[in-house]
Amino acid sequence: MYQGIIVAGFGGQGVISMGIMLAYAGMVDNKHVTFFPAYGAEMRGGTANCSVIVSTDEVDSPVVGQPDSLLVMNEPSFAKFEPTIRPGGRLFINTSLVSSKSKRKDIQVIDVPANKVAEEIGTLKIANMVMAGALIKHTGAIARDAIIKSLGIVYSRAKPEMLKMNETAIKRGGEF
Amino acid sequence: MSKNNIRLMQGNEACASGALAAGVSFFGGYPITPSTEIAELLARELPKNGGHFIQMEDEIASIAAVIGASVAGAKSMTATSGPGFSLMQENLGYAYMTEVPCVVVNVQRGGPSTGLPTKVSQSDTMQAKWGTHGDYFPIVLSASSVQECFDMSVRAFNLSEKYHSPVILLLDEVLGHMREKIRIPEKDEVQLIERCKPTVPPEWFQPFELTPTHISPMAGYGNGYRFHYTGLTHDPFGFPTGKPSEIREKLDKLMLKITQNVDDICTHKEEFLEDSHIVVIAYGITARVAQQAVRIARHRRFKVGLFQPETIWPFPEKALKRALEHADLAIVAELNQGQLIHEVSRIARSKVKVQGVFRYDGEIMTPTEIVNKIREAN
Repeated sequence: MYQGIIVAGFGGQGVISMGIMLAYAGMVDNKHVTFFPAYGAEMRGGTANCSVIVSTDEVDSPVVGQPDSLLVMNEPSFAKFEPTIRPGGRLFINTSLVSSKSKRKDIQVIDVPANKVAEEIGTLKIANMVMAGALIKHTGAIARDAIIKSLGIVYSRAKPEMLKMNETAIKRGGEF
Repeated sequence: MSKNNIRLMQGNEACASGALAAGVSFFGGYPITPSTEIAELLARELPKNGGHFIQMEDEIASIAAVIGASVAGAKSMTATSGPGFSLMQENLGYAYMTEVPCVVVNVQRGGPSTGLPTKVSQSDTMQAKWGTHGDYFPIVLSASSVQECFDMSVRAFNLSEKYHSPVILLLDEVLGHMREKIRIPEKDEVQLIERCKPTVPPEWFQPFELTPTHISPMAGYGNGYRFHYTGLTHDPFGFPTGKPSEIREKLDKLMLKITQNVDDICTHKEEFLEDSHIVVIAYGITARVAQQAVRIARHRRFKVGLFQPETIWPFPEKALKRALEHADLAIVAELNQGQLIHEVSRIARSKVKVQGVFRYDGEIMTPTEIVNKIREAN
């Protein structure tokens, strides 16, 4: 199993945070993982993306040229990365913020109204985890238990109710 | 998760953790992207372990403080990126001249000048060798994985303590910020080397004594030994000299302590070289990309192998000569406009054709770029 993932959006949407979370959960799930971020000089508002590889074998190159899965959190990321998805790959769209539709016939598109679901649960901050939930449901790259177990470790400073909401977000994401 | 000491760690964190495992007790630095996390982690951890962290006013002062701390007996280091590395060059020369052990980590970003603070590059390869003026022989290591960030950080301290010289550890933006699974070794698994100290009584002590190994015992400040350090070319007592014979002896000492020990200093990795007509040569993060490219190419029945220098200066010349013995073509992949390729060309002479794959747009190379080059050559 080899899953190359790109997560892309605005800085502040939890793009990098989700990438670290996925890599950590992959490790907890006894997989080989790499994560690397790409971002501009600003903390918020600029574009941010990260590459995550989860694999049963050791990872040589950390570069994800053609993602098996692409998670787009905003409109510019759709335009930039949608054409790069490997044929047969998956596109997860945050439909709360992205209105573009993919014309590609060789990929599977999963619509996730992540912001809407996150706000229903209680906070917009967990939109990233809604997307993560959809990703692990469709790819099976990481066990859901592993990601839920990792929440408390990666976000060790989060309040218990926040962790609970993250957990709910992952479960709700899996419904799409 | 601490099961078997397995952690998910960033390259910069691993580098700082390696330094702690090596016994670093002083960090003087000025934060700069993409190296900042090294300073951050050590600012937090050093005071807990009885060490010291000082944020200096700039990089010139940082390296000066690092040299001073080392002369006082501390294992000391700094971390920076291109612009800061440029500022450190003058005092780095002082450290080579006065033979002071210290470790300088350069997490490379695009240049020249302010360049690309958040983007990857390997364009300080030559600056690490020729950055300061005069004849000198630097030791420069280049890491390609988060595990190597840890291991080479330890090795950088060991080499600097063994050869009484600054050691440069080159990382890059991607590696510094990349997270991977690493195994932190147990304390007793980490072998440490300490600088050699004088065994003679203070009145017999010569700080730059000529020895068969070309390494002179080093006394720390405040231990009763008197010594004088100067950037001027000096005699075995450390005082300026204008005598041609002493000048020559000093410069030979600086050269020979490194060149006579290249077999100890140089390490490299190789893969599939037995039957390869094409050898891909890559270092740092690009070696990872090259590794995948070579595997893809071999899958398509190209006879291609990989040579990865871990020590880039001095360059593992003997090993590369062996690797190129049966090769027709060497492909050098690097994230710059062609730097290490000149060293490879020098070693390959005219026997082997040398071609480069260069990328310098702030993005990391993809395996496909190297595979295409291999395919073109066939």
